[in-house]
Amino acid sequence: MRKAAAGGDEEAPLQNGSSGRRRAEPQPVEGDDRNSSPGGLQDEYDDNDLGRRREIRSKYRDLINSVQQNREDMLSPSNNRLTEVLDEADKLFQDVRQAREAVLDAHLLVVTTDLGKEKASQLISEGSAFDSTVFAEHLLSFMGLNRLEDEDDEPPNGGAGDGYLPKDAWHRLARRAECCFRTAPSFHYMMGSFYAEPPPPKQRLERQKKAPSKEAKRIMPTQLKKMEESQEEATEKEVERILGHLKSYYQEDPSTPISYYEFVIDPNSFSRTVENIFHTSFLIRDGLARLYLDEDDKLPYIEQVEEVEEEARSSVSRKQCLVSISQKTWRVSSF
Amino acid sequence: MTERKRLSNSQISSQSKRPSSSFVAQEEDEDAMLTQPSTSQVQKGLEKLSPAQVDQKTAEVVQYILVKDQKKVPIRRADLVKNIVKDYRTVYPEIIKRASRIFEQVFGLKLVEIDPKNHLYILVNNLDTPPSNPSPVEHPSNPKTGLLFVILGVIFMKGGVVRDKLVWNILKKLRVDSGLKHDEFGDVRKLVTDEFVRQRYLEYNRVAHTEPVEYEFRWGQRADMEVSKAKILEFMAELHDQDPRSWTQQYKEANPTHTSSQASSSSHR
Repeated sequence: MRKAAAGGDEEAPLQNGSSGRRRAEPQPVEGDDRNSSPGGLQDEYDDNDLGRRREIRSKYRDLINSVQQNREDMLSPSNNRLTEVLDEADKLFQDVRQAREAVLDAHLLVVTTDLGKEKASQLISEGSAFDSTVFAEHLLSFMGLNRLEDEDDEPPNGGAGDGYLPKDAWHRLARRAECCFRTAPSFHYMMGSFYAEPPPPKQRLERQKKAPSKEAKRIMPTQLKKMEESQEEATEKEVERILGHLKSYYQEDPSTPISYYEFVIDPNSFSRTVENIFHTSFLIRDGLARLYLDEDDKLPYIEQVEEVEEEARSSVSRKQCLVSISQKTWRVSSF
Repeated sequence: MTERKRLSNSQISSQSKRPSSSFVAQEEDEDAMLTQPSTSQVQKGLEKLSPAQVDQKTAEVVQYILVKDQKKVPIRRADLVKNIVKDYRTVYPEIIKRASRIFEQVFGLKLVEIDPKNHLYILVNNLDTPPSNPSPVEHPSNPKTGLLFVILGVIFMKGGVVRDKLVWNILKKLRVDSGLKHDEFGDVRKLVTDEFVRQRYLEYNRVAHTEPVEYEFRWGQRADMEVSKAKILEFMAELHDQDPRSWTQQYKEANPTHTSSQASSSSHR
């Protein structure tokens, strides 16, 4: 008898689908009556009756959701929920006036048809049906579930519910089910396999690489500092050395003026010459030496500036001049 | 792809058709080195090698398969050739023949090629399983076997295919929530949809045209080879305290009069 009822469930959506308009079926007489009187009045303004439409849509969505969520329960042969859902949908459809609601109705139809198909497939299988819920119950008893303690508060606190199932439940089932499997026993070495350790050497290598690079980084900046310092010092020393020479030439023979180019040019090295010019310029900038042009031969001469004179010179306006020398002029002047 | 799988699963009678159709695909997929050498080529290759050399190679193959079988993931022929057989690939058919003989005669196992397209091998216990269960305590049991029984059993009883929701639903009733970590199984969802699938106990495929997306489970190729439908039905009947014959459809499938499916052959012994 159950099967017959389920068969009816299954056909219902098909009929509805093919007839297209549920209105065509005269079944919900009561609903028709209730709806026809306000229906006439509503016709003028029901297009604007957004609230009513929203309500219909929400009801449809609830129905669809309930079908989707309770699918497995509804599939059970003893469950009549599918018929109820279809009745409710029929009632809802009487108020549907616009496409948007009709789409939801169609969607519900898809869902229920799918369910119907599944129900039908249960009927096709000959002999007794297989109910997964019953199966689960039998399994639980087999696994040694203590039902007396279980009944009251099983679903909400899942963690506590587990306690009633003995620890070896799955082992118990596995031991019985093993004979269904022709699994090859897996092969293991009695002493285990060799202990492979390729990762550690790799790590060591990385560490070794990292360590020197850190030290190198530490050294680099200090080296740079020293170099800078030594260069500055070298320049200062050079400047002092040249001042010393200038002083000694002056003391040797204070009467003869010192020709700038004679003083500066190294006949054996152009680069040394340039260096000399560079360092001499410091003496002049610092006011320790003075350049002047001789009135007779218009050549530059250099002379030492006395301490006293230096203070006086600070008030005198400073002048800048450029000294240019090329390899060619160096060669000519050095001979 | 799903088309093929469905064929292979639902129609046992079409099994004879499968190798011929997959031969074309095999030639496309695999390099020339893996194509099966002809018998004359094998003969020529054997002449060049000493029997001891072939025996040695066979022993290596046997060991490789035994060790690889620990994880129960099918062994690919391509891996076997690449890692072990190497220069002996001309005599590959002979080596695999000898290896299966060793498995059968020495280990009581059977080497089965489950996927003619990708050339996957599994090992199956070739000994008769004890009639009932005489040794309840002696050897440690693997709880995963229990889980597999539940899932395979439901698929079988439901006619070969079930939606994944049904499986999760039943497991939840058995206190195994697919979303939570289980003491025994850890990440259940991963175990079922990944490990069991890789081991070829289960097939897990998307159902076409479903919104939202739904998946379905079927028996995998390893299950077809390893698991006895008759024994499953027997256990089912025991659980339900019912005659196995009352599930007419399933009883017919588990005890076919003609021996076409390998899984059922055990029930005849």
